[in-house]
Amino acid sequence: MSVHRPLSAVAIAAAALSGAVFVGGWGSSAWAADDATTLTIGMTVGIDNPNIWAVNSTSEWSAVTLQYDMLMKFSDEDLSASPSLAESCEHNADYTAWTCTLREGLKWSDGTPLTSRDVAFTYRFVIDQGFSYFTSYFPKGSTFETPDDRTIVWNSPEPTRGMDVPPWVYIVPEHVWGTYIGKTNKEIKQAAVLPNVASGPYIMTEAVPGQSWTFERNPNFWGTEPAYERIVFRLYTNQEAMVQALKNGEIAIADGLESALLPAVEAIPNVAVQKITADSWVNLAFNFGGQDPAANPLPALKDLRVRQAIVLAIDKQAIVEKAYQGAASPGETIVRPLSVYWHLDIPDDQVTPYDPDQANAILDEAGYTRGGDGIRVDPQTGQPLVIRMPTSNDTPGSDIAGQLIASYLSQIGIEVKAQPVSAGKMYDLQQSGNFDAYIWYWTGDPDPNYQLSVFTSEQCGDLSDGCWRDATYDDLVAQQASTLDQDERLRLVREAQQYVYDQVPSIVLAYPNSLTAYRTDIVADLTPVPAGDGYLTPSYSYTGMVSARPAQLTDPAASASAQPASGDSGGDAATTAGEPSSTSTSGPPVWLWGIAALIILGGVAVIVMRRRGTEDRPDTH
Amino acid sequence: MTSLTWARRRRSLGEFWRIFRRNKRGMIGLAILAFFTLAALLAPLLVDSDDIDPAFAPGQPTQPPSAAVPLGTDLFGRSVVQLLLVGARVSLTVGVLATLGAVIIGAAMGILAGYYAGRPLGTVLTALTDWFLVIPWLVLAIVLAAILGPTLLNVIVVIAVTSWALTARLVRAQTLSVREQPFIERARALGATNARILGKYVLPEVSPIIIAQGVLTVAIAILSETTLSLLGLGDPTSMSWGRIIEEAFVSGAMSNGYWWWIIPPGVCVILVTLSFTLLGYALEETLDPRLRQG
Amino acid sequence: MPGDPIALLARSQRLSPEALELQRVAFGLDQPLITQFGVYVRETISGNLGVSLISGLPVWELILSRMWPTLLLVGIGTILAAGIGVLAGIRGGWRRGSRFDSGSLYTSMVLYSTPEGWLGMLLLILFAGLLGWFPAGGYSSSTSSGTTDVAMHLALPVLALALGYVGQFLIVMRSSMMEVKAQPYIDLARAKGLTDPDVRRRHAVPNAILPIFTLVVISVGFILGGAIVIETVFSWPGIGLLTYEAIQTLDYPVLQGVFLISSAAVIFASLVADVTYGLLDPRVGAT
Repeated sequence: MSVHRPLSAVAIAAAALSGAVFVGGWGSSAWAADDATTLTIGMTVGIDNPNIWAVNSTSEWSAVTLQYDMLMKFSDEDLSASPSLAESCEHNADYTAWTCTLREGLKWSDGTPLTSRDVAFTYRFVIDQGFSYFTSYFPKGSTFETPDDRTIVWNSPEPTRGMDVPPWVYIVPEHVWGTYIGKTNKEIKQAAVLPNVASGPYIMTEAVPGQSWTFERNPNFWGTEPAYERIVFRLYTNQEAMVQALKNGEIAIADGLESALLPAVEAIPNVAVQKITADSWVNLAFNFGGQDPAANPLPALKDLRVRQAIVLAIDKQAIVEKAYQGAASPGETIVRPLSVYWHLDIPDDQVTPYDPDQANAILDEAGYTRGGDGIRVDPQTGQPLVIRMPTSNDTPGSDIAGQLIASYLSQIGIEVKAQPVSAGKMYDLQQSGNFDAYIWYWTGDPDPNYQLSVFTSEQCGDLSDGCWRDATYDDLVAQQASTLDQDERLRLVREAQQYVYDQVPSIVLAYPNSLTAYRTDIVADLTPVPAGDGYLTPSYSYTGMVSARPAQLTDPAASASAQPASGDSGGDAATTAGEPSSTSTSGPPVWLWGIAALIILGGVAVIVMRRRGTEDRPDTH
Repeated sequence: MTSLTWARRRRSLGEFWRIFRRNKRGMIGLAILAFFTLAALLAPLLVDSDDIDPAFAPGQPTQPPSAAVPLGTDLFGRSVVQLLLVGARVSLTVGVLATLGAVIIGAAMGILAGYYAGRPLGTVLTALTDWFLVIPWLVLAIVLAAILGPTLLNVIVVIAVTSWALTARLVRAQTLSVREQPFIERARALGATNARILGKYVLPEVSPIIIAQGVLTVAIAILSETTLSLLGLGDPTSMSWGRIIEEAFVSGAMSNGYWWWIIPPGVCVILVTLSFTLLGYALEETLDPRLRQG
Repeated sequence: MPGDPIALLARSQRLSPEALELQRVAFGLDQPLITQFGVYVRETISGNLGVSLISGLPVWELILSRMWPTLLLVGIGTILAAGIGVLAGIRGGWRRGSRFDSGSLYTSMVLYSTPEGWLGMLLLILFAGLLGWFPAGGYSSSTSSGTTDVAMHLALPVLALALGYVGQFLIVMRSSMMEVKAQPYIDLARAKGLTDPDVRRRHAVPNAILPIFTLVVISVGFILGGAIVIETVFSWPGIGLLTYEAIQTLDYPVLQGVFLISSAAVIFASLVADVTYGLLDPRVGAT
């Protein structure tokens, strides 16, 4: 019997100790030695590979935008080209040569001077290695010279708008990447990069895969020193968890918020939501065939009347409400609204309305009579109008939009088979042409050339959604690409948009807002880029991050009580930014721990007592 | 089949019912199941196709429960009650069909593995069974679902393929013991072929365990389908309870507080799975006198 | 992700044909299927599980880096589930029909019938959302994570996981106890004058607990599956979440890698259990 005593004593001691650890741990925030100011940003897409050449996801792009500079950047005001590493750029008379002058005293984060040779190296590197995201800005045959440390000359065989665009290429250090010339892209992408070497305000120093990525302030940054010493990207694959984290003050900014959670986010006190003017659009693209001999899309879709009927039958406003909770505008033309200068706004009285009756009338007149099951039949082929419609699951709202459209089109006698698929599968389908219509999204540069070119004939088999081939359109696009007169170009760009709107090779369903929510009581002065309804987090530039500062000054007393029950060192926003007024006390209250400790102790006591007792209840069957 | 045999079977059926009836848990399970089966059967009558049409549903989106919509509405304005009714059909159908597949495979594998134990066929089948038993079902299900694509039939196939192993194992064990029985020896001595022995003698002996396992497997099948749908691997065009939960989840039901949308489907899954589990245990107890107790 | 200008630069699914062809060649996807399979087997045996289609990182590395959170979750979750289940099962099976027995049995059955993902969501709503006692997902509050911080993040996922499986352990332990209790040597022990708790502890439990080992092994497969769902709901950065992400992007190499690793893990656990079982049960000679 006495054998058990030391055992139970140990058990009791262990229980008490663990109880103490918990309680102590909860209160240990007061001991936190770390008092660096950190801005924590939540996102729902991770950074699989921080290597700039492997960049893929939006978060990876954000990380790169935060760390690197372009020669000329997108201006804070309206995304036009504006000085960055270069303090000025000039073109020659016929736009075949561009000369840029770098600022004085530029350095890389490791102290090495940043010279024109780095710029020339970068441009040559991306062209030679064939990194397709970056090469489209340089006409074939472009060469680069560096007459001196601060001057770079870009010679182009044909006139180019060059640095006016500007080329969205981040300048990388030659002394880091020079050794990779000629290596395979696979090797380049797998190169370890931390701690990174770049020229921007923050440099990535630590990566915890699947969780968080830390950026430290760059002491050699050429611009204004930012207030925050550190920025942390935290991954929440779950939108809900990210919203909860915003509510609890674990993060100051929630990026990439999906509209579904707007009601919850707007209900959090001290939260502001930036509804960013759309720079993307979601479209229902029709397939005209020709990608592959085996592709056989629905022939009826080649009939303009059928496409017109489909547009009339879809209630875009309902899609905006149900798929985007109102955080979107009904789609119109193919140049996104954020490109304010180029975007064509269709006047209200000319917008195609939601009119299923008219749609039905058009189809009746065109000879598409309904079969016994209500589905219309193509008079030419005798086939029923059945549309296979995959929707891409990397496009938020596409699933809901797909269901709604299937419903709308059944009203006009067209059967739709909507099927959410992965983005990878979408790509296969687009290449093979094994679909009739699909829902996907497009986004792009501020300059409209890319977006317009996607619908040209030559993009069939490459970027074109459905291989629409129209000579008039091709002409328009070719003309605007080569016109250097801004006004004339604007006219052409608008004409191209109108043409697409009328010919309906694709229906722009909606312009979804990008959503960023942030705690106004934790962080302030996030400058939107472009001005007004622009991005706060690094998208076109890092301006928002440089201007950001904690909303309140550091108050040690307040921070201790506001600290969520995290352990020793914590660097998150709540630490130093004062007390988030709405935080429910994170961590179970002390009394709960007390009860837990009591239960543990009680249980141990019971065990001890039972071991000691010789009497027991009689065994009952 | 003589009339004597029929009479015998009828009597044993009656006997079975008499014993089963006293099993409280079994009766509860049966009652719950009856309720949901009724709901599933009545669904087409109670739910108009327009009511659950995403674009033309009569209700307002995401409304909390009220007199008109006892369990509120979803994102499209559809009544959650009606969604649950439709869901009952889908979830039960998938569960039963998948189980049928699993049980047929499992029983066949189990019987053969047990009967031919010690011989190459038996060893191979047993190894195969063990492999399927040991593979994490969800990982296998995910890989299969990713390859096959998210249609209802594929979901049924995937669940069947990942669920048969347990049944096979139990059936094999039972077959092993049956194999040693004297009447098997006698039949073989009298010149019966293996097929005949399997069909006429082994199968009836292992039927009870197959049936009981089958019922329990339905529970697993329904849970599996729910989990697959939760992960977005289910058929997006069919409204199973798992799909309702997934839609609710993805639409921010947790953060936005749409509790009426996300909790009831889970409760339905619990109740139906519970009913099959209770039934399964009750069947086991009824069929195996050793396990019988209050 | 809602449109983001960068997202298109991330034209990950919209590469130029040349770039795509390069990618295909790099992955060997231009080879006939049988060659691909042969290469796959050869590579796997030599330890090369290939490279992620999305990030370009080696699959092996990816899995390794996400291993620890899953081990933590599954390990503690299994111990908790087995521990509670076994203890309650012992008590319930020994005193069959008691209130404790019925109560725990019903609770187990209800828990067993609960979809785990949904249970996790409920816990999240209640304890993280409504009450704010626990963090709403993730591994830790910052990159340098203290033990208590991780424990707070671990609490709800582990609870969700354990609740899902405690029922199984309880039911098996319970029926095992009931079977053992009916054995003659139990009566013998009682006849020798041993007290009830002693009989239970010294004779019943050691014998009844043997099937639990088998159950733990069988359960590892299920629990790993459960981990996928739990990790997804709670954004717990383990292999389960990695699998979910790979599903979303159809990153086949990663899926294959996970499949291999998890199968290997379960087989390994099976071997361990076999050996342990053999050591514990003197009746087991050669199987």
